[in-house]
Amino acid sequence: MTPLAKNSSPKERDSALLAAVAAGDRRALEELYLSYHRRLARFLSRFTPRYENIEEIINDTFMVVWQNAKDFRNASQVSTWVIGIAYRTALKSFRRQKNHNVAHSLEDYPEQSVDPTSDTEVHDWLKHGLSRLPMEQRLTLELAYHMGHSLEEIAVITDCPVGTVKARMFHAREKLRQYLPALGGGPGESPARIG
Amino acid sequence: MTHNGRFENSVEHQEISALIPWYVNDTLADTERQRVDAHVGSCAVCREDFALHKRILEGINAQPALDYMPVASLKRLQARLDVAQAQAATAPLPPIEPSRSDVPWRGWMAASIAAMAVAIGLLAADRWVQFEVRSKQPNYRTVTTSIPRPPGEVIRAVFSPSITLVELQTILDEAQLKIVSGPTEAGVYSLASNSTLTVRSSLALLRRHSTVRFAEGTLPEPESGNSP
Repeated sequence: MTPLAKNSSPKERDSALLAAVAAGDRRALEELYLSYHRRLARFLSRFTPRYENIEEIINDTFMVVWQNAKDFRNASQVSTWVIGIAYRTALKSFRRQKNHNVAHSLEDYPEQSVDPTSDTEVHDWLKHGLSRLPMEQRLTLELAYHMGHSLEEIAVITDCPVGTVKARMFHAREKLRQYLPALGGGPGESPARIG
Repeated sequence: MTHNGRFENSVEHQEISALIPWYVNDTLADTERQRVDAHVGSCAVCREDFALHKRILEGINAQPALDYMPVASLKRLQARLDVAQAQAATAPLPPIEPSRSDVPWRGWMAASIAAMAVAIGLLAADRWVQFEVRSKQPNYRTVTTSIPRPPGEVIRAVFSPSITLVELQTILDEAQLKIVSGPTEAGVYSLASNSTLTVRSSLALLRRHSTVRFAEGTLPEPESGNSP
């Protein structure tokens, strides 16, 4: 791998590493792995508590990175590309898990199992509400708020048009609004907005 | 309930409303940010949405995140890559298409000879790879081999692969130990004493934790007392 200048940016560093990976450099892959492991593990731990699952998703992701690095054409940032692979790998893994605790629609849970009048912390409500969102909506929300990605980056990561990302975020918000009265008013107060 | 009938159904309102999540996470381009700024200032509905999204963002980021140790996971990835590369090296070549010769049997014969040559070549390569692997690696692993001890090592230990950095540090602090080397390919850490605590006491403290899969002293135990 060509040594990088000390003042190179993380983007330049990622690009150089991926180019080396494409040339078959295992050390570069290991370096890339170590630089992404923490943020991917933190992100994935929000969906599954089992580290075995998290490791499987991360390692599957980097197997794909190893095999497909030569096809990367700089159409997006390396980080967006890697996280996009992790997103699709995670989505497949979560769908495979028959007993994962994510509902496919809010209607699967017609009754709230938590008393809204209790002193439950807002964060507990949020955690509860997030676990009831369809996986694509929750991932969109987490990509924006936990990982800090822009609208356009999320469109690339999820391989969807920008309009779909906006719609997922809109529906996630509306469901959370219904489910989290402590956050933003009850269901009856939700005004009509973008469709 | 309508908060602001003037804006609610306008195209501008709908566009801005859809951008609020990225206004909140501060990733909008300057021009879009200025549009949202201008609209939110005069639209009560969007101000309410902004407050809702901001609280969701704060709630998501307030949830504790766990840090995991990547080294053991990386070693398992390396093992998978080794297998994949070995398989790729010994994978059969795609079947050879018969040449379009005017004399069909000549093409078939050439293909047969080529296929036999490839098969013999693959067999030889496979034998060579197996010989190389056997000659380089023992077919067993130990955690107490006569590998030179790192300076100060008094204990070797293996931790659960799911242990977090924080948990590991807490256990080591409690047992008054520090890592001097590792993990090895088998996940073994070499630990040195940080204090005057005896090796036996440190071992007992380590073994109390379910995340410690293995812990043994590397020094011979004295007859009585066991100062390291």
